[in-house]
Amino acid sequence: MKSLAVITFIGFCAVMWINVPFPFIIPKGFPPPVYRFQNNARTKEGFELGRKLFYDGILSKDGNIPCSSCHQQFAAFATYEHRLSHGFNDHLGFRNAPGLFNLAWERELHWDGGINHIEVQPLAPLVDPHEMAEDLNTVIGKLKKDKTYPVLFKQVFGSPGINSQRILRALAQFTASLVSADAKYDKVKRGDSHFNQYEQKGYEIFQLKCSRCHQEPLFTDLSYRNTGIEVDSTLKDYGRMRITGRKEDSLKFQVPSLRNVFLTFPYAHDGRFATISEVLEHYNSGIIQSPTLDSGLRKGIPISSDDRFYLIYFLETLTDSSFIRNPLYSDPALHGEMAKPVEDSH
Amino acid sequence: MIQKIKSVAFFLFLLLVMGSFQKKEMDSTLIIQFRAYVHGSPLELNKKYLNPFGEAFEVTRFRFYTGKIAPAYIDASLKAKITSPYHLIDFSDSNSTRIELPVAAGNCHGIQLQIGVDSIDQSRGAQTGALDPAKGMFWTWNSGYINFKIEGNSPLSTQPSHLFEYHIGGYRNDNNTVWKIKLFSTNDESFLITKENKVVIEVGLDLDYLFDGPTPLRIRETSSCMMPGELARKISENFIGTFTGLTISPNP
Repeated sequence: MKSLAVITFIGFCAVMWINVPFPFIIPKGFPPPVYRFQNNARTKEGFELGRKLFYDGILSKDGNIPCSSCHQQFAAFATYEHRLSHGFNDHLGFRNAPGLFNLAWERELHWDGGINHIEVQPLAPLVDPHEMAEDLNTVIGKLKKDKTYPVLFKQVFGSPGINSQRILRALAQFTASLVSADAKYDKVKRGDSHFNQYEQKGYEIFQLKCSRCHQEPLFTDLSYRNTGIEVDSTLKDYGRMRITGRKEDSLKFQVPSLRNVFLTFPYAHDGRFATISEVLEHYNSGIIQSPTLDSGLRKGIPISSDDRFYLIYFLETLTDSSFIRNPLYSDPALHGEMAKPVEDSH
Repeated sequence: MIQKIKSVAFFLFLLLVMGSFQKKEMDSTLIIQFRAYVHGSPLELNKKYLNPFGEAFEVTRFRFYTGKIAPAYIDASLKAKITSPYHLIDFSDSNSTRIELPVAAGNCHGIQLQIGVDSIDQSRGAQTGALDPAKGMFWTWNSGYINFKIEGNSPLSTQPSHLFEYHIGGYRNDNNTVWKIKLFSTNDESFLITKENKVVIEVGLDLDYLFDGPTPLRIRETSSCMMPGELARKISENFIGTFTGLTISPNP
């Protein structure tokens, strides 16, 4: 009876051309999200439009650099195995492309927190000459001339017209929907699975040595910290200071989530660490003292080789294979087939 | 009988309440015309001028955001209802420099307005109208609106093509470049806005004060400011000094 009512309701929506509501489910144990699709009610059609845009090179100058070129689903939407990503005309980007998941919980985005709202984030890669190298008004013009987009925009927003707000809101419907909360860790927390003894031991070491910054359940506290790294002499990236202009923020970067950490290598804002072991060794013995160094890292974090062994077991439980295989998030042009890592396509 | 009196009294009371609401209705119009000057003569784009430091310059582009504009009523009980959205004033587009504002009638001695986009409106996500990022007044890598932009060239600029560019914005803490200002008529006269009497207010901006302000701005030394920070904040203070009071005229 209940299902009949649902079917009737959806049928009614379809007949009346009303977009089907598409509720956003907050994973159990997660805090309330920052982005709640305010003024941008989440609908299946809106999500699908955002997904299509995310995978479409039309947003880039030469048509070859969609968002998904640097944010690959099989790498939890980071760039697989690249320190820096390739953009327009083979330019190298400025920073390591972060994985995209649980963005609805981020008040500020990017390594330096320079983006103050998820809806305006796509503007940064879109106009960056090293990334998509495009002009916003040109993109609007291209989408208006396209065969399918004008129809889709009308369907999603209820009236004809394509403008920057509609493009950005559709993209946010997709990106804010990328939720990763179904790793083995989550199954254990829900009581559906158990850590083996190595994972359990790794979890205890994690809680003792890492969770001050990589707080559960997001595995980041989203703060900005200098983790004892030196500035790269070619990139000259001082992180948060670039945004605030304050000396106190020199070399501080937003704490990245450790969810899917096995998939998002290389690590750090410029991809300087190739492996998890290198990162752990950095905390153990590689901290560089500087005035803005995080107060908890003055003496480093002692991580023995035993600790490292168990920690790696635990960190693997943060890989969410149902997220990277979810056909809802994949390239719509692949019709449910998943993209796989290929030998360096760039 | 008493019931009847009561109901009549209530009816009268209702009328009174409705009447007082009617009074505050925004049924009048205030017209604001922004005009830019250099040495007291109207600014022309692409024309050579000298700034107060004797530096030659031409302006090619001059735009700024304003919003939350309201009359300053003499009667303090007439609190101005601020409904005015943001406007992008662009001196290369004469349509943009004139704003028609629905306001409540009343006797005024000035106007209040905000220059720039305040922190609340800076982080509302994707917007349309004057705040559409496609207007070219939005920083993409450090989210925020450029509150005012002046570009041009000067032989004294050390930049390529002798360009000078001041893109002034920033809304966080000490780097805030948004100002709320009150402007009064130049001769201290009050003006009456009524439904029948549209008032035209001219807001003048004198570019001399952009250079010769609290922080002297010499093109030779500073030909570019493109991000939020202390310099942007200082230049914004100079910019506020360019607003030099109101000239009021009845509707032509």
